[in-house]
Amino acid sequence: MSVLSKPNPRVRVNQRRKTEQRILIFSLGFLAFLGLFPYIFMLLTSFKNTQQFVDSYWGLPLPLSFENYAAAWGQTKDYFVTTFIVVGATIAATLLLGLLSGFILSRFVFVGRNFLFTCVGLLLMVPWIAALIPLFVLSKDLKMLNTIWVLIVPMIAGNAVLSVILFKNFIDSIPQELFDCAVVFGASGPQIFRYIVVPLSYPIVGTISLLTMINVWNEFFWPLLTVTDDSLRTISVGISFFQGQNETDYGALMAGYTLASIPLLFLFTFLSKHFLAGIQGGLSVSDK
Amino acid sequence: MLTSVERFMGTNFRLLRGKMAIAEKVEKVKKNKPQRKRFKPILYLGLAPLFITLGLFSYYPAANGLTRAFFDWRFFEPSVFIGLENFRTMLGDDMWWESFKHIFIVFIAATTIMWALPLLAVEMLISIRSLRTQHILRTLLLFPLAFPVIVTIYMWGFIYHPNRGILNTALQAVGLDSLAQNWLGDPNTALYSLLFISFPWIASLPFFVFLTGLQNIGTEVFEAAAIDGCSRMKRFFLIDMPLLGRQFRLLFFLATISVLQFGTSGYVLTSGGPDNATMFPILRIIGVAFNGGDWGYAATLSSTLFILTLALSTVILFISRGEKQNVRSL
Repeated sequence: MSVLSKPNPRVRVNQRRKTEQRILIFSLGFLAFLGLFPYIFMLLTSFKNTQQFVDSYWGLPLPLSFENYAAAWGQTKDYFVTTFIVVGATIAATLLLGLLSGFILSRFVFVGRNFLFTCVGLLLMVPWIAALIPLFVLSKDLKMLNTIWVLIVPMIAGNAVLSVILFKNFIDSIPQELFDCAVVFGASGPQIFRYIVVPLSYPIVGTISLLTMINVWNEFFWPLLTVTDDSLRTISVGISFFQGQNETDYGALMAGYTLASIPLLFLFTFLSKHFLAGIQGGLSVSDK
Repeated sequence: MLTSVERFMGTNFRLLRGKMAIAEKVEKVKKNKPQRKRFKPILYLGLAPLFITLGLFSYYPAANGLTRAFFDWRFFEPSVFIGLENFRTMLGDDMWWESFKHIFIVFIAATTIMWALPLLAVEMLISIRSLRTQHILRTLLLFPLAFPVIVTIYMWGFIYHPNRGILNTALQAVGLDSLAQNWLGDPNTALYSLLFISFPWIASLPFFVFLTGLQNIGTEVFEAAAIDGCSRMKRFFLIDMPLLGRQFRLLFFLATISVLQFGTSGYVLTSGGPDNATMFPILRIIGVAFNGGDWGYAATLSSTLFILTLALSTVILFISRGEKQNVRSL
């Protein structure tokens, strides 16, 4: 009896550890909830019509009303089309420039190689705001304002920098033997590029595509200032215009926010490894 | 006609020749290890698209901005060289200097509390034993990152809404009506309200950087500390913090660059107001250029910001390089 009534110290330690773990999990869960709360609220509200929003602020009254989504989609679908065109074109050009220039800067020795690479790297230190004003005037002089090109081309220039650096670093890390071998078997430069560099670079292609997509999706000031044609607005600017149109129709507003979030949410869910690598993308560079 | 033997010899010879050629090439490649720098036109042709794009849309605008800072530059009028006149205007521009005060507050917040909470979360996260739970919690904590910035800003705008906002409604629901206020409309609270956007700031770069930093340290160090009876608190201050030194420097560098460009939320939610309480440099620049039409002065302001960023980041890089060497010499 007396033995049983005394708790085993080992059991006690285990017990303490268990409670500790539970407290940790609970607190982190709470922090995660705190961070996600605005978005949960957004999702709930997007299913309420005006009356339901007044009646039940916090809850989710049934039946769900989907008319908010119909209204929001009708007003924002042009923005999605524009944004996807810009995203697609920017990603394609960024990858092409990055792969080709990264390969050349990484695997060939020629006059000015280091100098040119430093020139690219320096642009990482230039805040885009420094070039905003002259870039706007340049776009105006080139008659690009209010066209799709003004959205795409500066985006390519902006995203190509990191793309070149990441590709160069990645191609640097491919073993030299592989290239020696290819040269021995008589592969030409373009063949090496096509059959060795491109296939091996797939992981970094994913990372850069996602990074570019996130950047284009979130770019705000540039499309805001350069485009006035409603159908040419990208999603970030479109949403702020949409906000102005539906000032107090909270259900429709939040349905619009939800629609604007879906593509990135989708990518985060299914490609979270690339997504997170994309967000960290700049780090591996400034680390050095 | 070749006999079969000759044919066999022939193929053999061809093979042999091939092998010799390969050996020669290998020699060549090996000899070439310290390759001579050469001028190969095709390579420059391959790099041309990149440098044409960058030249036209990155280097030229940046350089043009620096020169135009010395001009009186308006649309539809010839631009006139006016020397340092724009800089003189800038010295007397109260709104511009006030915006730096705001930026300084943002910077302080971004390098203290916006690091502390993610660091706390990371410490808690790596203390969880079950790897699966760790992974699920990490994903949930980072999930807000998947939302577009503009959506986050507008949702927080709704949280602060004076009548229907989440914050005031919640305060009224628990009987704290007196605390409810027009968060973004009051000059005293507007800036801090903007800073609180995406509280608790865990879905952020610092969280990532601290997490990868601590995960790279290696469990041996932590185990050794545990065996020596080092408490969790002690471990945090004596092991985790010093080993995260590099990460802190990196984040400091990134914070400097990003804070100087802070302003989207200020533009979207408060347009720099009320009473200029949320005026940031970038908003001032856009205001001068697009509302005032004074492009030369806007170029002056943006060049100043540019040079400031460059100077600060160079100083930080310089300092951190020095420190790195100290670490290595141990």
